[in-house]
Amino acid sequence: MFDYLTFGLLAQLFINGILFGTMYGLAAIGLSLIFGTMRIIFLSQGAVIILMAYCCYWLFTLFKIDPYLSIPIIGLAAMVLGAGIYQGLFRRAVKMEDKNITLLIAVGLMFLIENLMAVMWTPNPRSISTGYTSSSIPVGGLAISFTRLMGFVMAMLSTAGVTLFLKRTLVGKAVRAASEDIEAARLVGISPHWVNTIAFAIGIGLCGIAGIALSTTYPFDPYFGFIFSLKAMIALALGGLGSVFGALLGGIILGTLESWSSFFISGGWADAVSYGVFLLVLLFKPEGLLVRSVKKV
Amino acid sequence: MKNLKPITSVVLATLLLGLIPFVSDSEKSYLVYFLFLTFCHIVLTQGWNLVAGYTGQVSLGTHAFFALGAYTTAMIWRADLFSWENYYFDPVTMILSGLVPVIFALAIGIPLLSKLHGDYFALGTLGFGEILKVVCIKGGQFTGGPIGIMLPSSVYTTMRPHYWTALFLAFLATGVVYFMTKSRVGLALVAISEDETAASSSGIYILKYKVLAFAISAFLSGLCGSLYAYYLFQVSPEGFLILRWTLYPVLMCVIGGSGTVVGPILGSLLMTAVFTVTSIYLPGIHPIFSGIIIILVMLFMPNGIIRLWKKGV
Amino acid sequence: MENRLLEIKDLHVSYGSVCALWGVSLHVPEGSIVALVGANGAGKSTLLKTIAGMNRPKNGSILFSGKHITGLTPEAVVNAGIAMVPEGRKLFARLTVKENLELGGYIPRARPFIQKSLEQAYELFPLLKTKSNQIAGSMSGGEQQMLAIARSMMSRPTILMLDEPSLGLSPLVVKMMFELVEELNRKGMTILLVEQNIYQALKISHYAYVIKTGKIVLEGKGEQLLSDPEVQNAYLGTME
Repeated sequence: MFDYLTFGLLAQLFINGILFGTMYGLAAIGLSLIFGTMRIIFLSQGAVIILMAYCCYWLFTLFKIDPYLSIPIIGLAAMVLGAGIYQGLFRRAVKMEDKNITLLIAVGLMFLIENLMAVMWTPNPRSISTGYTSSSIPVGGLAISFTRLMGFVMAMLSTAGVTLFLKRTLVGKAVRAASEDIEAARLVGISPHWVNTIAFAIGIGLCGIAGIALSTTYPFDPYFGFIFSLKAMIALALGGLGSVFGALLGGIILGTLESWSSFFISGGWADAVSYGVFLLVLLFKPEGLLVRSVKKV
Repeated sequence: MKNLKPITSVVLATLLLGLIPFVSDSEKSYLVYFLFLTFCHIVLTQGWNLVAGYTGQVSLGTHAFFALGAYTTAMIWRADLFSWENYYFDPVTMILSGLVPVIFALAIGIPLLSKLHGDYFALGTLGFGEILKVVCIKGGQFTGGPIGIMLPSSVYTTMRPHYWTALFLAFLATGVVYFMTKSRVGLALVAISEDETAASSSGIYILKYKVLAFAISAFLSGLCGSLYAYYLFQVSPEGFLILRWTLYPVLMCVIGGSGTVVGPILGSLLMTAVFTVTSIYLPGIHPIFSGIIIILVMLFMPNGIIRLWKKGV
Repeated sequence: MENRLLEIKDLHVSYGSVCALWGVSLHVPEGSIVALVGANGAGKSTLLKTIAGMNRPKNGSILFSGKHITGLTPEAVVNAGIAMVPEGRKLFARLTVKENLELGGYIPRARPFIQKSLEQAYELFPLLKTKSNQIAGSMSGGEQQMLAIARSMMSRPTILMLDEPSLGLSPLVVKMMFELVEELNRKGMTILLVEQNIYQALKISHYAYVIKTGKIVLEGKGEQLLSDPEVQNAYLGTME
């Protein structure tokens, strides 16, 4: 009964999974930075990604700006938005003992953004259609969609950028240090607010990139964000906290898993498979599949 | 003797509220519907309060247990499980609708609570809700898919039984929370939310109490779901498995003051009023307000209304 | 009259309703080693943390070079020139030795000199140079303590506060650690040393304070206190 399974089909599913998974990965990297420095579960991540997708859509529809040319505009705007979200919403709450407060603020923000988008742009799904939307690049007998490939390239480049920033710059090192031990970081003179602002700016900046990648490849509606947040959490749980590369890889694993399960079991169930895997990981290996536990000194 | 005062006042208030359907026309007046909704919110809010306010664990799975209760009621009725004449407000059906969520709460609660702290518990319960949603949408004939299960609405005569049942459940939920706080169990729960390590070293078997609180919360949510199924006569993912049923109780509890007995009641009353008014006068955009209110409350009043005048409690 | 680099006046600190320091006054002259000794829980670490800006005092003042630094954030205190080597070292265990050192020079005042400070640190601790790309968490206790001191020196401080530098180290390494403190002092560093290893601390310090349940109970020159019968009975008898 599986005679329709050719190598080509499997490979195509695999590639689609990877390409979509990188978007989860991008969101997961942002979550990982925000969680790492502030222990905030930023559930509004997905909603912000959709907001950015709408920005990309409107820049394209109203001002005829090509989605790929809007990368610097949206990326920068998203970073500013991220810094603003920290300063306006989380700066006060981060200091409080009760971590539920930050979680609930994130939930409130998600609610706000989702419904704001629904009111402003109607709940109807949107998608961007350009001259190259349906073009594809033949690679070894497979057809890879141009826009998805671009999404993949954008994700790879921004991951590399974030990694370089964290490893090579002093501020990036300060972000890593603060994620590890905020008290020790303060004692060497690292201001938590500055580090947190940067973590948020990068995290939301990545939402901008993911939003552009999403808007060029898939139709989206205002309420799609919540599921996206959950998927990013799953990617993060798979990859483990504290590793940029792990988060990306977690996203790719999840994307591949979904791509295959939606083909073999049927579309809607793919979500259940992801959440099932999520629960299993939470139960049996909460530190993440890809992380060897680091001993604390 | 002093402790009897709040009890008597709550009992009196409940009895007085019970008289309202005799005074106000339950079919035409908005008051009865408004109070019905408020009581439902109180049930869910007290359930969440029991877990979050007293053990410090944030559950984001209220809607899942609420829906499980509703689906249980709908399925028993549809399958004619006991070959009875009447399943409408049938106590056995309703209690079973409370117990089914308890089974699930135990199944996911024991592993989640024994391994995970705070953040992961919230995500785990949220993930459970999402799985349930997929199962209900994709469940075919068993769950009725996206349309859900339709119940024979011809049995509906008046709003009165809904009102009284909701009032009773709200009273019950408040009573449970009150009892839990006064008993040894309650002291253990407070100890858990205050300092987990200290509580465990003083010999309290944390997991047992956390799971107990989580299971009771699921029971209350399931009962409320069953009641709401009798009100809507259609049990669908869109009516029950939506995040609203988790977020509203959270919001109401925190606004009123989590970890208190009266706070959730105040919060439910206030927020149901706010949501009702905004949905009448600002249709379409009122969900935006819920978002803004959640954020503002968390930023400026994270301890709730009740603690504003009960400083130091 | 000696130059009072750091001066604490009538400092009261409490955690919630529990009072941890009751009117502590002391001062650290420029170029000296001052030791603060006492039993566990006497309030030594609380005092250092308050100076470093981690605790907010209820009352009293902290002056550094004659300027008020009471209530500043930890970042501002480091930038003013007070570096602290915290108890338990608090290294960034997953970062490399070099990254730890670089972050030591994070504050604006020290940042332009990072390369220079790094060379000086490597000169002082040649071992750290050979291990510069190693993960800090993988080093031995003594090496970690060395790194912690080197990291705090990166901020080019005027005064160095050491919180229990000998804690958890082998006797041989402890000896080296105290020699190191003396060497830093000879090079001109002012040092405020908190220790449970009272004998060693008194031996190398110019002046010392004994703290007990949040109050200074005794003070004097290091050797003087060492020969004080009260100190010998209360602390040293049990220590040696």
